[in-house]
Amino acid sequence: MGPRFSQGKEIALTTQIDFASLPRVRVPRIVVSPRRILSDVLSKGWVESAIPFTAFIFVLIGISIATTGYFKPSNLADLSQYAADGGLTVLALLIVVAVGGIDLSVGSNFAMSAFVSLYAFHILGLPVWLVLIVSLVCGSLIGAINGILAGLVGCGALLTTLATMITVRGLYTLASQARLVEISTSTRSDDLWDWIGFDKLLGMPIGFWVLAIVAVLVFLMFRQSRFGWHVLAAGGNRKAARHGGINVKRTIFFAYILAGLIVGLAGFLFAARQNSVGSDTGIGFEFAALTALVVGLGGFVPGRGAVVSVLIGFVTIYLLTNAMINSGLRGDFVQFALGSIIAVILAIDVKFRKNRHRLLASTYLDPVALGIEPAKGVDGLMPHAIAPKLKHATLIGSGQVDGPEDVILDSDGNLYCGTRDGRIMRFAAPDLTKVSLLAKIGGRPLGLAFDAEERIVTCVAGMGLLRVSLDGKVELLTDQTDRSLFSVYDDTTIRMADDLDIAPDGAIYFTDATKRYDIGNWGLDLLEARPNGRLLSYDPKSRKTKTVCDNLIFPNGVCVTHDGGHLLVASTWTCSILIFDLKNMAAGPRVFLSGLPGYPDNINRASDGGYWIALAGMRNPVLDEIMTMPGLRRRMTKRVPPTNWLFGNLNIGGVLKIDGAGHIRDALWDAPDGPLYMITSMREHKGVLYLGGVTNNKIGRLVLPGANPAWTGPGSYWKKA
Amino acid sequence: MTLEGALGPNSRLDDAESVRIAAPEAICVNRSGQLMLSSGRDVFRLPQWGYTPAHWANFETPVSALAASEDGRLAVGLADGQIVVLDEAGKPLSGWIPSTPPRAVADCLFLPSDEIAIVDHGYGSDEPLLSLAPWDSKARGQVIAVNQTGATRVIATGLHCPMGIAAHINGALIVTEFERARVIETSGRTIQAGYPAYLGRIRKIGEGYALACLARRDPLIEFLKTERQFVARMKANIDPRYWIGPRATPEFSPDFPIELGATRLFGEVKPWAPSFSYGLVIETNPDLMPIGSAHSRANGVRHAISDVMLWNGSLIAVSRASNEILKLARQDVP
Repeated sequence: MGPRFSQGKEIALTTQIDFASLPRVRVPRIVVSPRRILSDVLSKGWVESAIPFTAFIFVLIGISIATTGYFKPSNLADLSQYAADGGLTVLALLIVVAVGGIDLSVGSNFAMSAFVSLYAFHILGLPVWLVLIVSLVCGSLIGAINGILAGLVGCGALLTTLATMITVRGLYTLASQARLVEISTSTRSDDLWDWIGFDKLLGMPIGFWVLAIVAVLVFLMFRQSRFGWHVLAAGGNRKAARHGGINVKRTIFFAYILAGLIVGLAGFLFAARQNSVGSDTGIGFEFAALTALVVGLGGFVPGRGAVVSVLIGFVTIYLLTNAMINSGLRGDFVQFALGSIIAVILAIDVKFRKNRHRLLASTYLDPVALGIEPAKGVDGLMPHAIAPKLKHATLIGSGQVDGPEDVILDSDGNLYCGTRDGRIMRFAAPDLTKVSLLAKIGGRPLGLAFDAEERIVTCVAGMGLLRVSLDGKVELLTDQTDRSLFSVYDDTTIRMADDLDIAPDGAIYFTDATKRYDIGNWGLDLLEARPNGRLLSYDPKSRKTKTVCDNLIFPNGVCVTHDGGHLLVASTWTCSILIFDLKNMAAGPRVFLSGLPGYPDNINRASDGGYWIALAGMRNPVLDEIMTMPGLRRRMTKRVPPTNWLFGNLNIGGVLKIDGAGHIRDALWDAPDGPLYMITSMREHKGVLYLGGVTNNKIGRLVLPGANPAWTGPGSYWKKA
Repeated sequence: MTLEGALGPNSRLDDAESVRIAAPEAICVNRSGQLMLSSGRDVFRLPQWGYTPAHWANFETPVSALAASEDGRLAVGLADGQIVVLDEAGKPLSGWIPSTPPRAVADCLFLPSDEIAIVDHGYGSDEPLLSLAPWDSKARGQVIAVNQTGATRVIATGLHCPMGIAAHINGALIVTEFERARVIETSGRTIQAGYPAYLGRIRKIGEGYALACLARRDPLIEFLKTERQFVARMKANIDPRYWIGPRATPEFSPDFPIELGATRLFGEVKPWAPSFSYGLVIETNPDLMPIGSAHSRANGVRHAISDVMLWNGSLIAVSRASNEILKLARQDVP
């Protein structure tokens, strides 16, 4: 028996789809899974600070148990009065560490800047705003020396800043001893100076507000500014940053200057508050700052501008020290206890960081039971029951295309396909032997469709929805949709755009097959079997992307029905085809066809009013059984090497022909070891069926006896010849 | 053991010379140095490599084992558990009917006591052994010995799917166990275990032995064995034909799952891909430690090696999957 095609008749095209009578599909509104929440949280950047934050909470609890009235507003205000310069120094250090350096001279710089402020105020008698500038210039100058030596010249950061620490300390001692008496006997007073030193704004000391503003600025710098990004890039990987076009030396230089500037500000605040300096000013300051930084960052981690983390680390250390000293413990005991507590925090933090990825990997796959309806409607059509019709197919472009997931023909009969290396290739009509490059887009082009202007619209995994005109111009249509309401993971980005089709009004409907896996490991989505995919729409007129239906199970092929009123969507892992009503998408999908013998991929129109369904692989009893056992699948991914994970049989596939009402009419198989095995797409064009396969390097061409020899895809959609 | 070192991959089986023959199962070398080979219900003889196999005898059921005695007799095991002894001309000799017939004759061997040792794996000819044995916890195999009068004695019982037998250097009898992947003495003592394959027959080769392997072991199946609920459901709900397990042929079939690493790329299977069928002959030293191997990997077709023999200085192997008798090039074994 051969394929039953009606010879050019339009009878079947009028097949009415009785949408309301089809069974509903239960699409979950939200997917809640503790394992997923854990894995999503673990993959967040801020989870890096989990341990410092926990330590901070513990310290707070400990202090509130051991003391009374410590957290009174007045005491907190006092604490923040003295914390400002320390906090600023930690931020300065963070900038230097983020760029991949270290600064031991912050203590000396701090003392020097404080002295310069006092000198400018008391001896030179400068106005306060000028004192601030002089202090900042002093700090920046010392930073610039570090920057020149460590950044531009390339001496090591440790050696350079050790040298400046000693030199500046010496200079400071000489200068302060010469001028200290003069400063301490000065009688100059200034309202602004005292306001900065002692007054409060909104109940908090001025120093606190300065620290808060600087912290926000540094935070914004790392998050939003070009320079901040360059700092992180240079610190993360100097070589890569240089290859990326960043002037690394200059970035380091400016990072040191910026750090010096902030330290200068800290010195100014200190001077205004204390109105004096001593021989021990800033001694050990660098080590206190380094300790706070290490506790907050979990070590010297270049390339990470974690402002909040280091401030938490700073506050933890500051409160711990302060509370212990206040409770009257001996200084040496305080040091001993502080050191031990820091060691414990760091040990736990380092361990956590080291194992975070392992924990993430072991919790990421989150399988669920999926009962699949037994195969039906294919009696007498299975590979062992009928002759393999694809054996008669000829091959196009053998070895010339790498993974044509989808194939499509324009009205002139030229054939287009995407490839694994991100190109769209064209086979020229009429003999389709000469292959040429249409466009290079990158990503992984999957589904293809022609719009009314005969431009190719393509789903590109890893990129989104793109449009390629036949002169090779590439245009990104969309790569983002709305974020779903309840998900820890930010699913705004379209991760695996898979297939699309275009409705008569020009709206593009396309699938994001899975939000959790990339094209490289989409197979894991089968083992998970969760509704990870979504159907999206893009309106070329308003340029808006919308999530039409979230939480579908691997939505794959998309096809607008012949009447233009419905949308067929293949749900690959459930072996079924869903249908949407284009006039009422909110009503959700219904089941058009279920119990397929394999995993459906793309769906495309046939000339007789029916549809072609590509089967990428075949299901089998053992896998169907295992799909109902999520625990087993999870254990398997832990105990069995990935190459040995049980999988759907993608080494054999085929094409199903269904009629307009959704009954399977025919099946096309290749010989078991034949060249057309994992078929992901097929297009009918002028009585010939063209077949693509995502893991193949050739395109099949099968003459369809009895098919309408005039029918073309663009003609069917846009009434072109 | 893993497929590394002496068991590392090569293409010796794929490169071997071959003689095509329908449904081969067992081989042996008779007194006059001819290679006797079974082909379905027939036995052929091959005087020399390169000759066309000549028909020698025919039976009512498929031949499942062959053994030659030093005085020229040939024992033929049949799929229904019968054993027939023929003289050098192919004339059946009377007697040799065990008082309690075994379910199957997986292998046989003439003993010095003028008995025939029969390896009975315990699965009937209608039971797909490759599917069933990996999931069977019952040890239903045995080794019995029968003499011409039919007197039968049990040499060993409670064996798990024994497949082959050979005489050990120390005079004891050693038996391979298909699923347990080990070689044991009939007393039950394990001599060597942990082979990375489902073992078939064992033959004395020079100083050591050669092990014919029906398939290689698979981490997925080993894992699934620990999943009791799965095993119970598979046994209850699925026809044994579709059970996951070692297979005799490397076909692409919609009836079976594959492993993730076995997907074809550009139509080809990678040689290193995991596969449920495999061709492997292991050569061992006298202590049964592997010292060499011959492979037909995932992309080869000479899988399911059911028998192996030393003949005229060459290793001869039987590939059930490709319906071939293979003559392996000698490999220098350290």
